[in-house]
Amino acid sequence: MTDREPQERQRTPNELDEARAIERAKQGDADAFQALYDRHKRRVYSLCLRMTANTAEAEDLTQEAFLQLYRKIATFRGESAFSTWLHRLSVNVVLMHLRKKSLAVISLEETGQAAEDDSPRKDFGAEDLALAGSIDRLQLQKAVDDLPPGYRTIFVLHDVQGYEHNEIAAIVGCSIGNSKSQLHKARMKLRDMLRMNRTEKAEQS
Amino acid sequence: MTCVELQESLAGIDEGGTAEQQAHLKSCPECSALVKELLLIASSATELRESDEPSPRVWNSIEIALRREGLIHPPHADQSLLRNLDRPWSAKGWFWGRWLVPATAVLLLALSIRILHEKQMRQVESNSVPTTSSAIVSDSVIAGLNDDDLLQEIASQSPATQAQYAENLRHANQYIQDAKSIADANPYDEEARRTLFEAYQQKAMLFELAMDRSLP
Amino acid sequence: MYGCAQRRDSGNLMNWRTMKSLGIGALIVTTAMAGTLVAENHKEYRFNVGPKAGLSVNNPYGSISVKPSTGNTVLINAILHSDKVEVDNNQAGNRVEVQSHLLPGADPETGRVDYEIFAPADASITLHSSTGTLRAEKLHGDVTLEGAGATVDVHDISNAHVHVKTLNGAVTLSNVQEGHVEVDSLSGVVTLDHVTGPLVQVISTSGAINYAGDFGDGGEYRLTSHSGDIEAIVPDNTSADVSASSVKGEVRDDIPLQPKTHSWFDVQAGRTFMGTMGRAAVSSTVVLRSFSGKIHLRKRTAK
Repeated sequence: MTDREPQERQRTPNELDEARAIERAKQGDADAFQALYDRHKRRVYSLCLRMTANTAEAEDLTQEAFLQLYRKIATFRGESAFSTWLHRLSVNVVLMHLRKKSLAVISLEETGQAAEDDSPRKDFGAEDLALAGSIDRLQLQKAVDDLPPGYRTIFVLHDVQGYEHNEIAAIVGCSIGNSKSQLHKARMKLRDMLRMNRTEKAEQS
Repeated sequence: MTCVELQESLAGIDEGGTAEQQAHLKSCPECSALVKELLLIASSATELRESDEPSPRVWNSIEIALRREGLIHPPHADQSLLRNLDRPWSAKGWFWGRWLVPATAVLLLALSIRILHEKQMRQVESNSVPTTSSAIVSDSVIAGLNDDDLLQEIASQSPATQAQYAENLRHANQYIQDAKSIADANPYDEEARRTLFEAYQQKAMLFELAMDRSLP
Repeated sequence: MYGCAQRRDSGNLMNWRTMKSLGIGALIVTTAMAGTLVAENHKEYRFNVGPKAGLSVNNPYGSISVKPSTGNTVLINAILHSDKVEVDNNQAGNRVEVQSHLLPGADPETGRVDYEIFAPADASITLHSSTGTLRAEKLHGDVTLEGAGATVDVHDISNAHVHVKTLNGAVTLSNVQEGHVEVDSLSGVVTLDHVTGPLVQVISTSGAINYAGDFGDGGEYRLTSHSGDIEAIVPDNTSADVSASSVKGEVRDDIPLQPKTHSWFDVQAGRTFMGTMGRAAVSSTVVLRSFSGKIHLRKRTAK
């Protein structure tokens, strides 16, 4: 994961605060638990929300992830970054939930369900996204929410959360090639949706 | 390599691509634009990493569950406030994290420094009267944030509201000054320190409201 | 996943209705006034959402009112007061975001948009306006309202977090049950009428704070001001541990309190009182604090 930190390097003041909070949380300090929650809640909740595209489910999963973490916090020895531990645990909580719901995690390719519009084509006539230089966050958010679950999982893990393909393969239980292929298809689909959205807006105005 | 072949082989383009891919991209503006768009999408995706804030009820549910499971115990009354102030990136009881803008963070950081400093002073001089530390935080200039600058900014953006901001700023500064004098006179009084914190919070909110205006 | 917005523009219809309601007398309105009316534009947006949806509205100038809808629909009626402002909206999953988008040259009058919104009662709403009235009623999702000069009116809310921040707008909360209420105001008058819950907290610099109710639910009630007066009017059957203190202002207590045997601060006559009222098993903690404002705890008289 891109934000993984070497163990030997010096801790920043924020990390020292966090280390203190973790130690106090191990002793059952309510404030410390809340402090840790406040610090990481946006990242965990955003992960859950992107993966499920459902506010109520994302709230429940955020709660579950933090509870699981807090139940195990006494075993945290600091060998890896606390955030890495938390985010990995959160990903597991979400994936478990999706599996329970029988939602496809990487199923598109396996079921031969690849959509027709995933096949290579030349469609360069539409407006160029890259020329605009940036993508509206809300539009991208909506487009990600509208991705099929299989594509969405890989896209969120790789491009949003920063996991590498080998890590995704281990977490999700697929091949590295499969992860790469799903990611590419997800990006292509997002590009189509963002272009369509841009065209619609242009027509409205 | 044709355009179709390139598209079929794009899955691993993140690692820089093969020599064959690179050669095609150099000669084909359409495929080059496609790759740029895909990479733009990838780079924009990091903005979604912390894009959403959970409802306060999530923490409530967690806290209730933790208490039920006996994983946390309530804070000691005589320490709870100091613990709150000792924590620059969070505060128990009021969920104002979502409101924070840099000005707020700076103001509260300044207060945290003051509190930490005073705690250290008290540890060192536990048997003597704590010294005043009013020089640590200046209320008119805090880490480069200046009341006059703020009012000038408001005057240029929205002259009609300048007077009301100036009046409120005056009151907020008076609040801090009074709260500070009481906290200095009663260094062990938790209520006094809480009041000082709230006074800073009020001024931080004023800055935040002023800077958050959605003017044309 | 959820439905997309449907929009209906009905500027002409609105103008016709407006003109009709004004009656014959309105025919002599000034040309300038007529120009303003003609520029008004009515837009309607509809979104299908799931349970516990999120709704965020940012409207620099103008009012926002949110009421409960039937079913899982967010219906937004917007009146734009000129063509200097547009309404941007977006739905991302279960979250709806609306923004009044000011165009160059817009001012508080021409940039004004008034919103009337119907949202599912369990939706969490966040409203922001600098000048307009912010109103939320009959909801049980979280309510966050913010605005410099905005007047805030929240009533009939239950089981929700209610957070309010204003510079100088008046804030009125009434009939908020089992709430987690936090109000921060620089100089606006804050009025709480039958507001109860685990936490009810008001912090004001110079505005007055008025509380009427029974400090119920065994909660923590903290009303704090620098120079604003604090008045609490409570019924006979209130059960609470009360502590009130003003450094320079007068403190009055019309209700006999049982004195505390142990106190952690010096009780000064006329500046401080503390004690217990009522005998119920579950009592709330009430803290009233001011620097120079007066504090008055009054008994509610029968009407």
